[in-house]
Amino acid sequence: MRFDIQYRPAHSLAKVSLDPNESVVAESGAMVGMSTNIQMQTQSGGLMSGLKRMFGGESFFRNTFTAANGPGEVLLAHSLCGDMVVLDVPAAGYFIQSSSYIASTPNVSIETKVGGMKTFFAGEGVFVLDATASGPGQVLVGAFGGIQELVCDGSLVIDTGHLVAWDKSLTYQVGKSGSGWIASFLSGEGLVCHFQGQGRIWIQTRNPAAYGQEIGALLPPRSG
Amino acid sequence: MHYDILEKPDFSLVRVRFQAPGEQLLVESAAMVAKHSSVDMKTQMQGGLLGAAKRKLLGGESLFQNTFTASAAGEELWLAPGPEGDVEVVEMDGQTPIFLSSGAFLASAPTVQIDTKWGGAKGFFSGAGLFLLAAQGTGPLFFCAYGGIHAVDVGPAGYICDTSHIVGFTGGLEYQVTKVGGMKSLFFSGEGLVCRFQGQGRLWISTRNPSGLVSFLQPFRTVQSS
Amino acid sequence: MQQLQPMGPGSLPAPPGSGVAHEISHGPSFAMLRVDLAPGQTLVAEAGAMVARSQNVTMAVKLNASPSAGFFATLKALVIAFIRKFIGGETFIVNHFSASAPGRVWLAPSLSGHVAHRRMNGEKLVLSTGAYLAHVGNLDIQMKFGGLSGILAKEGAFWLEVSGVGDLWFTSYGGIEAVDVTSPFMVDNGHIVGYEGNLTMNIRRPGGGMMGLVASGEGLVCEFTGQGRVYLQSRNLGSLVNWLSPLLP
Repeated sequence: MRFDIQYRPAHSLAKVSLDPNESVVAESGAMVGMSTNIQMQTQSGGLMSGLKRMFGGESFFRNTFTAANGPGEVLLAHSLCGDMVVLDVPAAGYFIQSSSYIASTPNVSIETKVGGMKTFFAGEGVFVLDATASGPGQVLVGAFGGIQELVCDGSLVIDTGHLVAWDKSLTYQVGKSGSGWIASFLSGEGLVCHFQGQGRIWIQTRNPAAYGQEIGALLPPRSG
Repeated sequence: MHYDILEKPDFSLVRVRFQAPGEQLLVESAAMVAKHSSVDMKTQMQGGLLGAAKRKLLGGESLFQNTFTASAAGEELWLAPGPEGDVEVVEMDGQTPIFLSSGAFLASAPTVQIDTKWGGAKGFFSGAGLFLLAAQGTGPLFFCAYGGIHAVDVGPAGYICDTSHIVGFTGGLEYQVTKVGGMKSLFFSGEGLVCRFQGQGRLWISTRNPSGLVSFLQPFRTVQSS
Repeated sequence: MQQLQPMGPGSLPAPPGSGVAHEISHGPSFAMLRVDLAPGQTLVAEAGAMVARSQNVTMAVKLNASPSAGFFATLKALVIAFIRKFIGGETFIVNHFSASAPGRVWLAPSLSGHVAHRRMNGEKLVLSTGAYLAHVGNLDIQMKFGGLSGILAKEGAFWLEVSGVGDLWFTSYGGIEAVDVTSPFMVDNGHIVGYEGNLTMNIRRPGGGMMGLVASGEGLVCEFTGQGRVYLQSRNLGSLVNWLSPLLP
């Protein structure tokens, strides 16, 4: 399987080249185009694990694309403008912000991380995924904006809206950015995450909630 | 006329430099970024009232288009589309027609004829109000998309793409809109309608989907108070 | 409750020509700015722009009044800030970042686009209010009212006049193109990042008679006469909204 990412960094498109009978698992809605011999199956884990994902936090459906009778290609993209990167999943695994996940090799297990994580992000419908692989595996993540790898060597404070993925070896604590209620209201900063330890953190150079608020305020109101 | 597409592919910006007085460009309403004051701008309903009304109702383009006319060589006109994304230009050769999704048209020379092709009845686009425009003639045709524009040269093996990502395609391609997978897939897959292309030609796909942005922005809109 | 203070003369001016250590990455589409602060340096940045910072960097919220502002000017700035917070638009509340040991701050604007750096050496630069991101040094940033015609033009209501000595970073929605103006040049309001030089800016209809105003879809435009440089951005929030609106449920 080869991932070839084009039109970086703003309109990135991942061209996944599959060998005969190879599969790639992708977020529902991520498929843009594909060769005619690709077969698609929803919920490779069966309907029950899909429901479990629903109760775990939000609906989170995935499709498995398999090349039949020869090599094939699948084009994948996510919904907002931004870059993509392929990460090799280490034994320790990653935490991934849910809307950053696009695709993975079939041997990577993706679970919703439960337990208090809904307070992590200021926006709704965003939660944390736990990615681990039993053998060599890869995950394709996409960002709103560019993707920057930061190295945490001791401690680092990061606005939560900018988080894409991070090593599970890091410990973290979520808190408000400014001190005092006027400062928080006016400073415009949302929640920040205080990371401790050694590890890598991938951030996106734009904050979807800030972008959504700026544009949403200009749009005609909705009825409900 | 001379033209450059700057800032490709992220936020493409078209800079036109007219080479002679009288040169003209027909531009989608509200796409002008800047121009020398001496470039004349006239707003008109292209193709007469009936033609324009037909295009508005069926084509999804705004009713009015602007015609810019140069008064001297060297004058500049800068254009940009509304969404974040790329702009492509094709020098039409008078032979191969190009079919564009409504909303993809940005500008063209007056020697390119734009007409509405009624593709809506077949449910070509799952989104409301999106149809096909047909372009024929000679000269430059500028089109745009939300996202990057990825060209696929389609051959006998065919190609499948999500309908909401179609920007345009050349004549010579047959297409068929289908659901992908079975009933379960339709509800759970997240994939909507797909289009299967067959024949010989070029297909332009956008790497982003406007309804993805619309869904993302929905919770950020203020709620109408009744 | 945190006290709001106007920006005082406490920030150290950077010696001319030295510049502040910084890096702009992921440009021109999703540019992010990293500033490496030396002890005693203060980075002033638009509220809401922080992506990350070293643990030892402190952040304080302030009003971005001119350093020479007196009590009433400060009060006016506070009122404007609150009004704009509610009606939308640039609040002109800023954060001051400083540290007693070297520290890093990463900043990004909310829209896709570029970040440009400008070393100011006493000249004057006019910026659209949405374009300001951050500065270090002795810069005077005055909010100017664009006049009644400015209000009609929506985006043209407020402009920033920047002068002084220091490092300035500003942003664009989309990429930035610099155009040298020698003959009259018209620019759609929402596409202006800023301008400088010997230019006069007038708000006008784009032409085509009355029908041109109503039907053309162009808002009001700014016409520049004189000699100078205009900075254009390749996208326009108003056009994005116009394109999106028919697609909304």
